[in-house]
Amino acid sequence: MRGRALTSTHPSMPRAIAPPRAPMTERRRETIATVAVVTTLLVLMEILSRFVPDYVMPSPGAVLKAGKEIFFSDTSHVFITLARLTAAVAASMLLGLILGLVMGMKPKVRPYLRSLVVIDTGIPALSWMLIAVFWFRDPEVRIFFILCVIIIPFYALNIYDGIRAMPKELVDMIESFRPSRWHVMRYLIIPHIVPYVFLTTKSVIGYAIRMVVFAELVASAAGIGSRMNLAQSTFRIDQVFAWTFFLVVLNIVLQVAISAIEKVALKWRPEVSVR
Amino acid sequence: MIQDISMIKSAATAALPPTVRLHKVNKAFAGKPVVDDLSIDVAHGEIVALLGRTGAGKSTVLNLVLGTLTPDSGTVRVAGLDPNANFLGLRGKLAVSFQTDRLLPWRTAVENVELGLLILGRSKQEARAAALSWLERVKLADAADKYAHELSGGMRQRVSLARALAVDPEIVLLDESFSQLDHVTSRALRADFHRIAREFSKTCLLVTHRIEDALDMADRVLVLGAPARIQLELALTERDRLDAQLRGRLRDEIAAALGEEESPPAPS
Repeated sequence: MRGRALTSTHPSMPRAIAPPRAPMTERRRETIATVAVVTTLLVLMEILSRFVPDYVMPSPGAVLKAGKEIFFSDTSHVFITLARLTAAVAASMLLGLILGLVMGMKPKVRPYLRSLVVIDTGIPALSWMLIAVFWFRDPEVRIFFILCVIIIPFYALNIYDGIRAMPKELVDMIESFRPSRWHVMRYLIIPHIVPYVFLTTKSVIGYAIRMVVFAELVASAAGIGSRMNLAQSTFRIDQVFAWTFFLVVLNIVLQVAISAIEKVALKWRPEVSVR
Repeated sequence: MIQDISMIKSAATAALPPTVRLHKVNKAFAGKPVVDDLSIDVAHGEIVALLGRTGAGKSTVLNLVLGTLTPDSGTVRVAGLDPNANFLGLRGKLAVSFQTDRLLPWRTAVENVELGLLILGRSKQEARAAALSWLERVKLADAADKYAHELSGGMRQRVSLARALAVDPEIVLLDESFSQLDHVTSRALRADFHRIAREFSKTCLLVTHRIEDALDMADRVLVLGAPARIQLELALTERDRLDAQLRGRLRDEIAAALGEEESPPAPS
């Protein structure tokens, strides 16, 4: 029997079906919400700046002007901060990865390392900053040390959790080929923990930006933190606001960049959305 | 009780020393016996099905053969070696296809198939060529670059079988490899595997709870009771497989040994 066309013969079926309206994507919704919030804040800032002195709340225009100023005069400080941030996050990622792997794969050492990491997470960032000032003379070493001791536990604990979440089925599968330890690491463990590395980096980057600026404020004469300190001591609240906006934008840019790299690196992962 | 109803056994397989041998093996967990004085010989090129209900100790037997468990008493030999003591010595000689496909999600189909070859130390090019040729054999050449989540259940299981066979193992262990699939896909896959296993003279130990899996593939069916001990041993021929009456009789006999009141209907 020849197949019949399924288009318009049945009475319950409409003759022409309008294409469904494309649902608004999550990203589009987020962008609209962000623009709305930023606009509201700028309007509030403008209104407030008309009723209070400039040194309490500068207008958005004054902040924009200060932003242009620092963009041309303090570019080197931005690069110094970015270099410190990159070096510290990269080193913390590597050391955290090693610690997490050892915790996940060496049960005898695990309790000691885990205790060490947990104790580290309990030490306030400020304590590490003050200790670093006593321990190290070189400001670069101080900032690097401060950032590393703060960030490493995030990587170590997340990667340890990643190893614990490894499906036993996959371990049994690869073991059935009788691999060496290196093969297991290369073909199973490392690819399995890559998503955890991205997750940690995305979670930690905003915190790391805040910490590097804080550390620069306490322990260095160069970088965004030191420039904010200078702006505060010279009553340039417009510059403090300009730096603050810059840091917020920097955080967003870095998050987007990491997400873009993640999308390429984890292209094997299906996109899942839950209603 | 051991019953031989066919007594037909290939002279060629009978003449060769067993590739897999379990001799008076016992295994208990927390004092509860799981394997009871079990002796099994699987000859070179033979396909043996271990059929049993859930909890009969089939997977324990498979793990003993795989070397991930050691027997409390008795001996296990695979290709003449103790699979636990010579764990690395059996690299490349033994491969497993599991109940679920267990594909690495970050590797494409072809990359999954070449995994075992890379572990064996083959070059990337050699592994890729072999993997592609195996994908072709399991009729998945077009899906070589697809990730696991882009494949159907049957396709994933085919990739899993290709991965096991690509290392050219002497012995293939099949752990309920077809039981998660629908009857049509399962039957097609069983036929493909049977053809390949015969073509390459693979020794296969198939663990299953489905009578049809065993009837379609095995040269010999061992029905296990709980704890694992042989309740019934049947040697099968092509005639047994193809003749509906003989097949039905065998199915009923196996079902009775498994303690099933009625044999499950054969899927059409």
